[in-house]
Amino acid sequence: MGPVEVTHLHMSVFSQSFSPCGRFLAAGNNYGEIAVFSLSSALSPDATDLSQTPILTFTAHEGPVFSLFSTDSHLLSAGNGEISAWSWAELIKRNTKAAWTRRPNYKSSLEIPEINAMTVNPTENSLVIGGGDNNIHIMDLESGIFKSVLQGHTDYIHCLSVREREGEILSGGEDGAVRIWDHRTGQSVHCIEVYKYEECARPQYGKWISCLTTESDWMLCGGGPSLSLWHLRSMSPTSIFPLSGCQRQANFYQDMILSVGEGQCVSHCLLGGEVKAQIPCTPHSLNTLALNLNSTDNRVLTVGGSSHQIDVFTNLSYRTFSLSF
Amino acid sequence: MGAVTDDEVIRKRLLIDGDGAGDDRRINVLLKSFTKWCNSTGSPEEGFTQYQRMLGTLAQCEFSMGKTLLVYDMNLREMENYEKIYTDIEQNITSAHDKISECKKEIQRAKRIRKNRQEYDALAKVIQQHPDRHETLKQLEALDKELQQLSHIKENVEDKLELRKKQFHVLLSTIQELQQTLESKPDSPLNS
Repeated sequence: MGPVEVTHLHMSVFSQSFSPCGRFLAAGNNYGEIAVFSLSSALSPDATDLSQTPILTFTAHEGPVFSLFSTDSHLLSAGNGEISAWSWAELIKRNTKAAWTRRPNYKSSLEIPEINAMTVNPTENSLVIGGGDNNIHIMDLESGIFKSVLQGHTDYIHCLSVREREGEILSGGEDGAVRIWDHRTGQSVHCIEVYKYEECARPQYGKWISCLTTESDWMLCGGGPSLSLWHLRSMSPTSIFPLSGCQRQANFYQDMILSVGEGQCVSHCLLGGEVKAQIPCTPHSLNTLALNLNSTDNRVLTVGGSSHQIDVFTNLSYRTFSLSF
Repeated sequence: MGAVTDDEVIRKRLLIDGDGAGDDRRINVLLKSFTKWCNSTGSPEEGFTQYQRMLGTLAQCEFSMGKTLLVYDMNLREMENYEKIYTDIEQNITSAHDKISECKKEIQRAKRIRKNRQEYDALAKVIQQHPDRHETLKQLEALDKELQQLSHIKENVEDKLELRKKQFHVLLSTIQELQQTLESKPDSPLNS
């Protein structure tokens, strides 16, 4: 077994992001590498095995790339406590020079906390970063200055979400709390401790929240506790999804909820709480799910996890093919 | 170029069933026999039979010409028919495309409606868990009434208490005054 196969055995894909034009997919793994795949050639009728391999692979950080986010022109990657920006136009031309690299002000200089989640607040054009130092840092994308720090979590932050209309940032962490912050004042407006609600709690798994997503008045959160749908105006859980295993990422899609986590499948659930379908995929445990809504031609769903293969679904009902790192 | 078209022409003439070559030959033979008949010196019966034969071949030529004209007409009409079918099918294709996009829009709308219904259902489930508003209002009203009654009673009791206090005060003050008047007049008619 050559060295490449050995690294492939131990590879986990942690993050994915589609390019703004919708024709490329970037994926980050636990070795700190980012691979860029060309979706248009992989989906074209005359695709070969070669088109399912990356057009570009490069080492972006020293630590695992836990989070990737695409803005209109750049790919932002987080690894080893720092954020690097890569211009998509340059990446397509196979030029791997970072546009900029910045590091939030961490209090302790001994340990470098990892960055677990990144998202952009479009109204303020700021980048919201959550990571291992239990704080949320907000960085202005134009100037690169770290504007503020939201403190309140007592353990590291797993996931972030932004509600643009209300101007709120939601964060879920290892301490089991989902905190809602007002981005202007920087104060925690609400704190929901999901594990305290009997119907959601699963004490055998713990209290940590690893996936969080919002859409208008609704929020999905899960992790240790079961994946549950919350109505944010009344702060009450409306549906609990009977999925075994801890969910790591969930998305709203049309009238369904797509969720991935422990377990070799993508779960399709209805808002009422029933699991409509579970579609099998290659990785044994999934970490990330991404939907390409930027383009009309390449509307695919891709999932990645504890495998060097990324499954691509053109029709949500079955796996079409796999991209290989 | 010239050689190709010549080949094409020859091939076409050979392919269009041999009758074409037959017809040509027939016309030539007719012409030759006509000239021979005009210059013939034989008997009138022979001339007559030859004349009949020529009429026969002429009729044959006319017949085959009629046939080819009919076939040509038929081909033209077939062409028109095919053109019509072609345009029909094209129209059907475009209308099917339109229907497909309409149906896709319908699906999106239906999905949105379904999603709204499910959100409504989820909220309704939560709301059902809370007690009915009317009942709670009634309970509140009853409690209000009780409160009012009790405060009424309290007022009454307090008033009574005040009244009794005042009465006792009056009684005690008159007793004190009497005591004082008795003490201040020691040698009154009562002591003798």
